[in-house]
Amino acid sequence: MSALFARLILRPLWADRGRTMVTLASIALGVAVIFAMDLAGEAAAGSFRSSMETVSGGEDIEILSTGGLPADLLGRLSGLPYPLRYSPRIEDFAIVNEKRTVPLFGVDVFANALELAEAGNRAEPKLTEAGQRGVFTTAGLGRRGESIRLQVNDEAHDFTILGTIDSRQVSGDLVLLDLEDADLVTGRQGKIDRILVTLPETEKAAVDQWAERLRQGMPEGITVRPVGARKEENRKMLAAFRWNLRVLSYIALLVGAFLIYNTISVSVVRRRAEIGIVRAVGGTGRLMVAGFLAEALFFGLAGGLLGLALGRILAEGAVKLVGLTVTALYVSSTAAPVEFAWSAAAVSLGSGVLVSLLAALAPALEAGRIPPTEAMARGRVDTQLQAAAGRQLAYAGALLGLSWALSLLPPWGGKPMGGYVATLALVGAASFTAPSLVAFVGRRMTGWAGVEALLAGRSLAGALRRSSVLVAALATAIAMMTSVGIMVGSFRETMLTWIDRQIRADFYLRPAGEAAMDRHPTISEDVARRIEQIPGVLAVDRFRAYSIRYNGLPVILAAGDVQAQMRYGRTSLQKGDNADAVRGMLAGEAVIVSEPFGEKHGVKVGDRITVPLGQARPSFRVAGIFLDYSSENGYIILDQSVARRYLPADEPSNLAIYADEKADRAALRARIEASYAPRRIALFENRSLRNEAVRIFDQTFAVTYALEAVAIFVAVMGVAGAMLALIIDRRREIGLLRFLGGAAGQVRRMVLFEAGLIGLFSQLLGVLSGALLSLVLIFVINKQSFGWTIEFHLPVLALLSALAFVLLATILAGLYPARMATRLNPIEVMHEE
Amino acid sequence: MEKRNLTGCVAILRIEDVSKEYVAQGQRVVALDAVSLEMAPGEFFALVGRSGCGKSTLLNLAGAMDFPTRGTVRIAGQDTGRLDDAGLTGLRRQQVGFIFQNFQLLPTLTVAENVELPLLLAGLRPAPARARAIESLAWVELDGYENRMPHQLSGGQMQRVAIARALVHRPRLLLADEPIGNLDTATGNLILDLLRRAARDFSAAVLMATHSPDSTRVTDRVVEMRDGRIQ
Repeated sequence: MSALFARLILRPLWADRGRTMVTLASIALGVAVIFAMDLAGEAAAGSFRSSMETVSGGEDIEILSTGGLPADLLGRLSGLPYPLRYSPRIEDFAIVNEKRTVPLFGVDVFANALELAEAGNRAEPKLTEAGQRGVFTTAGLGRRGESIRLQVNDEAHDFTILGTIDSRQVSGDLVLLDLEDADLVTGRQGKIDRILVTLPETEKAAVDQWAERLRQGMPEGITVRPVGARKEENRKMLAAFRWNLRVLSYIALLVGAFLIYNTISVSVVRRRAEIGIVRAVGGTGRLMVAGFLAEALFFGLAGGLLGLALGRILAEGAVKLVGLTVTALYVSSTAAPVEFAWSAAAVSLGSGVLVSLLAALAPALEAGRIPPTEAMARGRVDTQLQAAAGRQLAYAGALLGLSWALSLLPPWGGKPMGGYVATLALVGAASFTAPSLVAFVGRRMTGWAGVEALLAGRSLAGALRRSSVLVAALATAIAMMTSVGIMVGSFRETMLTWIDRQIRADFYLRPAGEAAMDRHPTISEDVARRIEQIPGVLAVDRFRAYSIRYNGLPVILAAGDVQAQMRYGRTSLQKGDNADAVRGMLAGEAVIVSEPFGEKHGVKVGDRITVPLGQARPSFRVAGIFLDYSSENGYIILDQSVARRYLPADEPSNLAIYADEKADRAALRARIEASYAPRRIALFENRSLRNEAVRIFDQTFAVTYALEAVAIFVAVMGVAGAMLALIIDRRREIGLLRFLGGAAGQVRRMVLFEAGLIGLFSQLLGVLSGALLSLVLIFVINKQSFGWTIEFHLPVLALLSALAFVLLATILAGLYPARMATRLNPIEVMHEE
Repeated sequence: MEKRNLTGCVAILRIEDVSKEYVAQGQRVVALDAVSLEMAPGEFFALVGRSGCGKSTLLNLAGAMDFPTRGTVRIAGQDTGRLDDAGLTGLRRQQVGFIFQNFQLLPTLTVAENVELPLLLAGLRPAPARARAIESLAWVELDGYENRMPHQLSGGQMQRVAIARALVHRPRLLLADEPIGNLDTATGNLILDLLRRAARDFSAAVLMATHSPDSTRVTDRVVEMRDGRIQ
């Protein structure tokens, strides 16, 4: 059996090394992308951890509250008759030496479990030596004795590094300082962000009971929960993002599947005579099926193993891209080193093998059906396929209908499963249309378009089996590119329209540094007051954001000046009545929520929601739902007067400044800048804020572009490989053309025409199916996964450039096969048996 | 001044002391050894001999598909050794028609498209090319077969299409490599008659390589080859 496999399968694969390599490479790339994205995604959601989880310890329970815990709570807890250890913490972010943003922790240094890297640091450090404050950092931020500048909120502070932390204990860089110093630089005014509770070893198993016991007697706004909860929340929060990333990462393998199908079916056609002979001398049909499936298994396994190695390398780049998206959309994250995960490797390799086997099933079964002694001509097979093209068109229609029906289904298990299957059905519909399109246009090519076009068209229509599969493969990649392009373009356009409508203030202020969804550094209230006094300033809208948990998921609770917003900003609601919302919010009985919040938590106008605010847990009526594209987690907005009732001393995170139309903007800007100097505050004019939003948006979607590029690369590579195979199989025809007076240039042009026609057919199918796919992506998958309402826009210029590039790449892919074709010796090929 | 043959006609094909050698697996192989041959318009020669005696090599040299190692090949007075690839292609387009043993029709083209192919490759516009293709098909008595596909034809019909294609550009030299090798006797005879007619009607010099001694009965001369030499 193994000898047969070697002779009938491996030997021809070796003989056709070029195409074997291309097929292996396509599977390898497909598997590599899946593996790389899985490793990167896992890093982002799991071991990657939120930056705030980075300091590891043996704590079991955490106590936290929106806006911070009261200072006296620690005393109250310590007074309880429990054998527990309490570690208070202030948690924030600091910009180190005006470059990187790292987590900053205020802890009781002496009680902390962290061990310092240098043995000498074990001695009790003096935190206030000779008038300068001291911090501990990871080794990546500096060495002992060096000075370090930390910007926290809108102020910079100079510190001396007293010691470095053993980096094995933490994930990524961080700064650690004494609780008192942290209170001073963060402006917490005695409040603590978290109290971590360590249970005795004997009580570790009873963590839930202890959490419940501590909850007794606590103000209702305070959350007491096991420490692992936040990690689980992050995992839940990132679930939709990761899931969609994973689905997107399978596109390259899907394109690879077409190439496997193409390779195996060409093998079957080429070895038809051999198959007939083997059957005649006693080989069974089952043996033939097994043989060709073994060929596919070889591609799946060998390509898959190569893919795992490549994926491990790609993961390093992918983790950066995914990290950018996670930070921009969800949570500040620190990239942990990528580790080879066996479970992810098994899934990726398994996907490669499974897809290879499924793709090879139809041609392998066909090989098994070839009657003994019959060695049929290739032409007959393609004629059969041409005859079947009409039936395939009917399948395409049925799949189109199916995808429409599937896209109407509600989410299943929180995931848009109907939408995903609808996209597959659409890809299937496009693939089944390919033979009809190639045959129809190819057969109608006449000498009017030039003899090269005639020959190219007929050749494609004649070799329908392989040409239509190539078209289907490239069309799939183009469809994905088009659909994601339209979806991202529509999203971008919708967001810009939203920004133009929503962002009406003239100047925006926030503490300098990279923005992130879970970082809410503050601006001193003094600054806001000084700006209010500047002539030409009509209003200063203070916006304060807090990261809170709602139904076990992170949400941003924000307080703003509703009157200023309504008067100058002209915020309009997607659902609900504006006037009623303003009245309700000012009266402190209503809030408005963003669309993603409403979708994710099933909240409608008129519902009541309870949110943790300080030590209370008030309930509000949802008076309206507004469009928002800045956070996938969602917003709950209340009026600042209401927020102050629960969190009286809090300073704003952002300021929106409305200026008099007649005011000199440059002069006004200078006065505003002067009002906050030397505080480290970033000022954005309306236009630059818009640009900043676009920059973050583009950065967020960089990962999708990278995935599309790989799929297109696989498809174009497949075209090159398959064209080469086509040239080898048609060498006698090419030789004949030379006998009939064809010039070398005409042969070259014919091959390039073929490549170009494959590109054109693929573009036609890809763009049409891609446009339909984009509807599924925008209105089904996006809506059910993220809850955003996106208006359909066609990014014509971007799409045309991408398509022109793909067409050019396809034609370029024909260059080498064209060169091969012109180099064939016509005499040799005409006299070959 | 163009040389004339014994009958006084300008030779369309003149092969003078031509040798062709090549190296196969490190060994020097002499495919043709000092061969000379001359054909005038309207002449029909049969080239006979065993497989490997050099018939096909001689046809390839005569058809401007290859260069001799020594000697000269002139087609319509042009020395093929002095032409580059483009020059040889031009010469084939104007002067040479090929017929093969296994017909060599492009399976993806219709009968008419196969026939007009040399004209289109030579740059003729589609309408006149199609008119001439239909004319050529009529000459081989395949009127009405224009839109059929090759797989819908019998072997004899396919070879007639191949002859129509070889003659569509009115070549002065028609080279046929075992044209009846794949046909039964009756069909083979029909094809031989057509070749004879081609020599007569179009004044084409027809050089036919063949295994079959019977096929030499319609030819003007039988050129026997053995081990790369003309006997």
